[in-house]
Amino acid sequence: MIARSGEPVEILLVDDHPGDVRLTEEAFAECRVRTNLSVAVDGEEAMAFLRREGEFAEAPRPALIILDLNLPKKNGMRVLTEIRADPTLSEIPVIVLTTSTSEKDIAEAYQRHANCYITKPVDLDKFFEVVRLIESFWLMIVELPRR
Amino acid sequence: MKTPPAEAWIPAVDGRVDASAYARAILNILEDFSDEKTRLNDTQRAVMNILEDFDLEKRKVAELEMFAYVASHDLQEPLRMITSYTQLLAKRYAGRLDADADDFIGFVVDGTKRMQALIRDLLEYSNVGSTELDLRAADCEQVLRGVLANLESLMAESGATLTHDPLPTVLADSSQLAQLLQNLVTNAVKFRGARAPVVHVGAEPVVGGWRLSVRDNGIGIDHAYAESVFEAFRRLNPRDYPGTGVGLAICKRIVERHGGRIWVESVVGEGSTFFVILSRVP
Repeated sequence: MIARSGEPVEILLVDDHPGDVRLTEEAFAECRVRTNLSVAVDGEEAMAFLRREGEFAEAPRPALIILDLNLPKKNGMRVLTEIRADPTLSEIPVIVLTTSTSEKDIAEAYQRHANCYITKPVDLDKFFEVVRLIESFWLMIVELPRR
Repeated sequence: MKTPPAEAWIPAVDGRVDASAYARAILNILEDFSDEKTRLNDTQRAVMNILEDFDLEKRKVAELEMFAYVASHDLQEPLRMITSYTQLLAKRYAGRLDADADDFIGFVVDGTKRMQALIRDLLEYSNVGSTELDLRAADCEQVLRGVLANLESLMAESGATLTHDPLPTVLADSSQLAQLLQNLVTNAVKFRGARAPVVHVGAEPVVGGWRLSVRDNGIGIDHAYAESVFEAFRRLNPRDYPGTGVGLAICKRIVERHGGRIWVESVVGEGSTFFVILSRVP
């Protein structure tokens, strides 16, 4: 598990809504594992961050990506496709965290090799619980590739 | 001239618009027509006008439907923000401001929860009207078993008992049939008086189909409201019973989309029986 190293775990959150970003930050702040959350506010910024282009030359490589689908410029599905098509990024787990409950989106996300698909719960306690579960499963149970 | 069967003149509209009114109007014209053949052109024009009105009506309904869906769907987003952050306020600051602040936060949290329920039900209501029906032989007994499994805790908590006749197979979309029965059984249990709920699901053959019934021993419905209980957001007992008042509107919509009928017979203080007519499997 990645949390063992003692270093904060790098996570990239791709979400255009400040309210959602802050809420996710608050939820991670209540978790036990130390995390460092970077935020990309649209699909293009997410890809630039991951490829360390321009202002993101010094960007850390995330151990985990949390991706919203409904994004400006380049939507989440395209971001997912580009991550999976890029050999330097394709192994990073992507958690789709979105408000969409559409069966089409769910199927498409898995077809494009999302690691899991989670619908954002409306209720705060449930949302915090989801983030806690992401933490305990992805950061404390599974083994993640290291580079 | 021979009068054609009424249904030959009713365009398929999912029962969302009152087709029979249009059909009656057309039949009236046809009666005139049979008396006086010279008025053929007038008659044709009149029929065309009616059909055009009908089409316009259909489109209006479809637009409203779309509007309801988009509105309720898009409303969820900002509402989720309001809910989340007032809940976060409550979680972090309850007891740390003053009593007034706690009250105010409580009211906001309550309000957003109610609004969430309303939007959720409104979405469900519009979904019931817009999803395509998958009509096939649906075994009511099997559907009822699934419904009772969903309602297990409600039935247990309320001490309800439910019996049923041997139930038939009807022509229906089974998930909508489940929704229909679930709403009716839930109501039968929810609107109870002092007695433990006793619910009976009955079935009787009628011409061309089946008349299902859900009978309870609850608080009953005043005759004056026997029709309006099926209107969306119409609640007769808002103080004593929680809910958004969409459940029976959803039932009505499901039944009408299946080309059936739904109504209620009730005695206040003794109980209600909801009747539903559905087609048999051809």
